[in-house]
Amino acid sequence: MRTSHLAGVLAAAAVLALAGCGGDDEPSNGAAKDGGADTGETITMWTRAATQTQSERLVKAYNASHKNQVKLTVIPTDNYQARVAAAAGGKNLPDVFASDVIYAPNYTSQGLYLDITDKIDALPFADKLAPAHMRLGTFEDRKYTVPHTLDLSVLFWNKDLYKKAGLDPEKGPTTLKEMAEQARTIREKIGGKTYGTFFGGNCPGCFVFTFWPSVWAAGGDIMNEDGTESTIDDPNMAETFKIYGDLVRDDVVEPSAKTEAGPTWTGVFPKGNIGVMPMPSTTLGLMPKDMDIGVTPIPGPDGGESTFVGGDVVGISSTTDNEDAAWDFVSWTLGEEAQVQILAKNKDVVGRTDLANNEYSSADPRVVTINELVAKGETPYSLNFGATYNDPAGPWLKVARDAVFGSDPAAALADGKQALTDSLGQQ
Amino acid sequence: MTTQTIDRVVTRPRGRGTLAQRRSLIGMAYAAPTAVIVGVFFLLPLGLVFWMSANRWRVLGSPSFNFPDNYANVADNQLFRDSVSFTLKYTAITTIVLSAVALGLALLVQNQRPGVGLLRTAYFLPGAVGFAAASLLFYGFYSGSGPFDSALRDLGIIDEPINWLGTPNAALFSTIAMVTWRFAGFNMLILLTGLQSIPTDVYEAARSDGASSWQTFRYITLPLLRPTIALMLVLSITGSLLAFDQFFILTRGGPDGSTVSMVMVIFREGFTRFNLGSAAAISVLLLIVLVALNVVQLRVLGRDR
Amino acid sequence: MRYYSTAAALAILFLLPLGWAGVASVQGQAGSGQATGVGFGNYKAMAEYGEGIGTYLANTAAVAVMTVVGTLVVSALGGYAFARFRFPGKELLFLATLAILMVPYATILIPLYVVLGHLGLQNSLVGLSLVLIMFQLPFAIFMMRNSFEAVPRELEEAALVDGCTTFSALRRILLRAVRPGLITVGLFAFLASWNDFFAPLILLSDGDKFTLPVAVVAMRERSFGAIDYGALEAGVMVMALPCIVLFLFLQRHYVQGFTTGALRG
Repeated sequence: MRTSHLAGVLAAAAVLALAGCGGDDEPSNGAAKDGGADTGETITMWTRAATQTQSERLVKAYNASHKNQVKLTVIPTDNYQARVAAAAGGKNLPDVFASDVIYAPNYTSQGLYLDITDKIDALPFADKLAPAHMRLGTFEDRKYTVPHTLDLSVLFWNKDLYKKAGLDPEKGPTTLKEMAEQARTIREKIGGKTYGTFFGGNCPGCFVFTFWPSVWAAGGDIMNEDGTESTIDDPNMAETFKIYGDLVRDDVVEPSAKTEAGPTWTGVFPKGNIGVMPMPSTTLGLMPKDMDIGVTPIPGPDGGESTFVGGDVVGISSTTDNEDAAWDFVSWTLGEEAQVQILAKNKDVVGRTDLANNEYSSADPRVVTINELVAKGETPYSLNFGATYNDPAGPWLKVARDAVFGSDPAAALADGKQALTDSLGQQ
Repeated sequence: MTTQTIDRVVTRPRGRGTLAQRRSLIGMAYAAPTAVIVGVFFLLPLGLVFWMSANRWRVLGSPSFNFPDNYANVADNQLFRDSVSFTLKYTAITTIVLSAVALGLALLVQNQRPGVGLLRTAYFLPGAVGFAAASLLFYGFYSGSGPFDSALRDLGIIDEPINWLGTPNAALFSTIAMVTWRFAGFNMLILLTGLQSIPTDVYEAARSDGASSWQTFRYITLPLLRPTIALMLVLSITGSLLAFDQFFILTRGGPDGSTVSMVMVIFREGFTRFNLGSAAAISVLLLIVLVALNVVQLRVLGRDR
Repeated sequence: MRYYSTAAALAILFLLPLGWAGVASVQGQAGSGQATGVGFGNYKAMAEYGEGIGTYLANTAAVAVMTVVGTLVVSALGGYAFARFRFPGKELLFLATLAILMVPYATILIPLYVVLGHLGLQNSLVGLSLVLIMFQLPFAIFMMRNSFEAVPRELEEAALVDGCTTFSALRRILLRAVRPGLITVGLFAFLASWNDFFAPLILLSDGDKFTLPVAVVAMRERSFGAIDYGALEAGVMVMALPCIVLFLFLQRHYVQGFTTGALRG
């Protein structure tokens, strides 16, 4: 290709770029589009692979009972952000899409979702929707998303191991210190390949999911309200890291915790050689049938209860042509039929606090425990959450590892606070 | 020598004649499909990348021109600066190890023998596994419950699982082991293809002249293999400099940020911080360096006919 | 004998990880398709997953065929051009082709997505194949250029002197001479398009157009953040199988050298 030809190509590219990406890109804000709700439209929906089971069940049930049809596409979890970014850039978002609740602030602040404040407020149960999820889907006092699937961090304890170690199998820990004691007992009394506890020691997201609730349970916090400054040196955080750190030093923690980067962190407990550890609530249904497991909220060092309310939120994309059909589906998923008959029946957590105690959950008191936590748990809000806390190349992983594997957690947290704040505040 | 003469007679035109022009046009015709694909599907998007690097480019919403901010910020990016030295170190070691292993394997299986087809398949097989899948497989392999550790523990040789990924050096070499496993077969195949284009009578002539196998290798095989080695090195070095999956999945950039590669930083900029302009800027810089590097490499390993 | 023991030991070393994956894919793991005991539960889960393995196989096969054919055609013609002809812009085009290697996948895919959108090739298997052909070109063109250059010019001269056009010389004689190169290019193109994950993920939007690698990844990531190792291992086995078969089948084409006997005819 001649050089001049090359230049021509690049110029054309620039023109294309301008044509494709300039112009009016303000998010449309809910101007009502015509058309009834259930008139045989087909709408497209994306969901993360991590939540595909729940999404698929909801879509299937909706399609079976409505004229509108939802075409669901499952996108691999780790690449979901990239895929949504590409679609947004190419102005090709589906009608409805779910997102990891943690990234809701990014999507709402960048106008990917439609403003559905009025639609939500018109729902009779508007104030019963999982508060943590609603907080993250709100931007500048407008609401953009509703809860879709929930995944909470709770303590699982192995009743068989407790019995074997002489602990009361029906009484799980009520404080973090108590949990440490019970873990030590398991390790001392049983030993061998059995350990007291486990956690993802090289997994930044796991630390967030499993350790932060202890701070909330004690009334502290790890960030400011809008997620621009770190308060990681909260004494409860230091205390939590110290408790776990002591367990590591005393050989109570399964050794591969130090290198566990995430892919296998929930696969250890089901093997039956861990006494008690924080786990995602969604793994309850995947446990071996013959294992006797107890579930209890995550406590602070001296008591309290909390949880990290993870999972997905769902919203309507700002570029959709099928707003009414999309809302018909989204609002249906929040209705009692969907929440109870589809989610609760399959042991999934419901997104409405008023349905925590339903016909199915009462069959398993552990599910009631988890459902009730939805009202008490928190989801931290920050625009730079991913880059600061989830990304292994971000500052959080080092801070957490120094705090738990080093000898002075308080100092490690104090040292890391500035790096965290810098990352949180980046534009 | 006859080859050279005929060459000169037929393809070297006497002065500027229609023959040269015609050959030139014919050449362009043959190269046209390549030019179209490279132009439309690479240069066009690349132009967009250049444009993105000069803008503050968020995911949705109008981009705003901010040249040269994205580029200036690269210098301030400590994470990126560290990743450069790490990536260079990784590339150097991997290239040497991978090339040596691939060459060894290629020489081992170049001659027709009973069962050599099976051997070649065995060495090449790792290449049939997707790279992300291979990284995850090895992650499981290196974890405390991997088969190697379990076997050693059951045999009582060790008490605790070996920390394959626990220290910076261990993580680096465990990753290189995985990459070698995955790509040795590819490179072996490239070398095999090159080895096979060496006419057998050249070897016969050398043998009848009394050359030892080492001499044959050093003075005949290697020089004739230069274009193939050039290809292999270009692919291997460029691939190593742009390494991503193996570190993202296997080590997560750990332990403690000691194995963060340059593309990991680009990925973080683009998809975690949603700053596509910054990611584009780093990519452009990387591209310039790589082009320069490969131009030098190709000149040095030049064609030797 | 020493040859075989060394070679075989190396072969076992290389096969070990895959062997382990195969064994593990039928063993019980909590949370996978094969929760307890031994059996093919993981494979069954895979066959029934999503749109059904038939759809994904068909999509992947279509993309693979288009990519292989396209790559062979473009690189055979292009390699010949670079090896035997001089024309303006030759060096620049070669460099531009090689430069494809030097841009990280992550960087180029979104702009590609935008360009494909303008061309109307978004969310299409044809568009995906064209992109995959492009990614193969650096290796394919370089390999074919080397292959053509290694052919003695007498072969071509003889044909041209006999009155053939360059195209029929190419077709009848040269292609046979560069066969190992073509086979390698075709094989690599097949492997790349069969296994490629990121390109179909970004360039396709409909679940029913997805290729096997995307479906396999979606399947193994379905347990909320943890990896379903049973699905991973079964996926590795299923995807590797055609590659093994193909490679074994192609062995006989890697014939040692080529003699100048061809010139004497």
